[in-house]
Amino acid sequence: MLFTIINGLATGMAVFLVAAGLTLIFGILKILNFAHGAFFMIGAYVAFMIVGSNPPSLWLFLLASVAAGLVVGALGFITDRTVLRRLRDVDEAYMLIATFAVLLICEGAVKLIWGVNYASINPPPLLDDAIIVGSLFIPTYSAFLIGFGVLVYVALDLAIHRTWLGKLLQAISNDSWMTGLLGVNVPVALTLSVVASFMLAGLAGGILLPNQTLSPVLGGSYLLLAFIAVIIGGLGDIRGAFIASALLGVIESASSVLLPNIPGLATYVFVVVFLLVKPQGLFGSAST
Amino acid sequence: MKPIHFLAIAAALVVLASLPVWANQGVTFIVGLALVEAVFALSWNLLFGFTGMASFGHAAFFAIGGYLCGAGLRYATGVPFLALLGGAGALGALTAFLVGLVALRRSSGIHFAILTLALSEVLRVLIAYSTALGREDGLSAIPRPAVNLGVARLDLTSGQSYYWFLLVASALLAWVLWLVAKGPLGRVLQTIRQDPERAAFMGVDVWRYRLGAFTLSGAVAAVSGALYAPWAQIITPDSAHWIHSTQPMLASLLGGAQSFWGPVIGTILFTAINYATRTLIGLSEIVIGVVLLVIVLSAPSGVMGLLRRFESRRNRPAAAAGGGARVRAATVPTPAGEA
Repeated sequence: MLFTIINGLATGMAVFLVAAGLTLIFGILKILNFAHGAFFMIGAYVAFMIVGSNPPSLWLFLLASVAAGLVVGALGFITDRTVLRRLRDVDEAYMLIATFAVLLICEGAVKLIWGVNYASINPPPLLDDAIIVGSLFIPTYSAFLIGFGVLVYVALDLAIHRTWLGKLLQAISNDSWMTGLLGVNVPVALTLSVVASFMLAGLAGGILLPNQTLSPVLGGSYLLLAFIAVIIGGLGDIRGAFIASALLGVIESASSVLLPNIPGLATYVFVVVFLLVKPQGLFGSAST
Repeated sequence: MKPIHFLAIAAALVVLASLPVWANQGVTFIVGLALVEAVFALSWNLLFGFTGMASFGHAAFFAIGGYLCGAGLRYATGVPFLALLGGAGALGALTAFLVGLVALRRSSGIHFAILTLALSEVLRVLIAYSTALGREDGLSAIPRPAVNLGVARLDLTSGQSYYWFLLVASALLAWVLWLVAKGPLGRVLQTIRQDPERAAFMGVDVWRYRLGAFTLSGAVAAVSGALYAPWAQIITPDSAHWIHSTQPMLASLLGGAQSFWGPVIGTILFTAINYATRTLIGLSEIVIGVVLLVIVLSAPSGVMGLLRRFESRRNRPAAAAGGGARVRAATVPTPAGEA
């Protein structure tokens, strides 16, 4: 039972790592970024190019993840300049179709560059063990994921609620026109938050690399759960996304033990019930 | 309807009807799929473009119709095909009605989108779990039916004859949707899209009209699925996948969601691009993505919006020249009633 919960928390943190960037960009730009999953996938491929199937050491693995974050962050800058920026004042439906187009381009590029073959990656040394506490068996990698997820959450929460830049972004999210009048360079701040969101996607791609088989369909698999976590958590709310991700992970994990034949059912039923009962998200109000 | 639009539709019908005579089977098959997808997209856009609701789980209705029709043709051979189509429509309408009854009261906007998405995923998971419906492999070898019209019996077992049936059925469905969209009901729905609050103030029962639109849309989507099953002769859980739900959205937005025929234009474009790039792995996605991006960036109101802009520029060249017309066309959506 405890094992199921820990396993679920690890899954939940994996979802959160993807959802964090998604909710950040949603909170500020008010767009649902379909391409987020694709950039997460590109991050995974970049990290894979650096470390290969058997990461030689933990440090190289972490370094590769950071490098993936930087590369994807740079791609985010390009995407912002070429696409997102031109769409600031357009109806959100067109934002959706534009990010979907970016998703398609990314998937095509991944297929062209890395091929359609599957690759599986082992956890790096130190993370391929297990911690055994009494009868409890915890893979080190799960423990690492949980720790890393919490770390990212705390860092983001502090950055948004305690730093000058974070407060600035909150102001923009509230009323970008007024903030602009007050002398803040809104376009630069927006670009910055896009880059930050994409860096998070790339970093997540690197960190989650050992958890799955790498293939061009990777983007979609996490995207949907991350979307749901963002919605349930309340749009743009980092804390909500964190808790919702953990919840989703535990539910998914529990359902794979209790209903092994119908994967995913419990998760979606939960989402439906939750949205009907509490459509405004975990913490009440829809805005940050 | 303006004469030029009438001519365009007549020409399209002539080309489509004569297609099996001059095109090969592969092309005919793809065009048949496009017809189904076009009706599916039209049903979605009745919600989005005309009522202002974005359903992200529309593929669920498509799958309901497809599986009902597929299972009926395979297991219940005595049931007439037209009854299966009607049954699919009724089941789609019923499902949409029940979902709408709860979902439309409790949610709107993005929550409604995610709610429908989650519901359609529940359906997909259940279908993939059901042994009677072929689990992950779906129902294959679905036979094509014969239709008994009383006076004559139409044998649709050959690809050609079923294609013509498909064309007639799609045209009829499109016509019905057109009548609805252009009629008094469509006017009310557009009022709701533009400003639900004001519509309510004027005495429109917003919730009831939304529910009606959702029900009708679900019914048409289910019938399009039912038409699809015997054409492809296979239906899989993928037809309920959320990726399939994005298909009508992309087609509608690409073609122009503010226009009734936009989704059809979008579907045609998508099919053409897919067909032209079918042999290039990886490159096809890039081409589709770039085309989408260029269209969205240069013409936010879709292909139909672009055409209309040309039209208005031709009609009054002096007044509409320059940037003013462009800005206006981009920011103020033209009411769909003008098409």
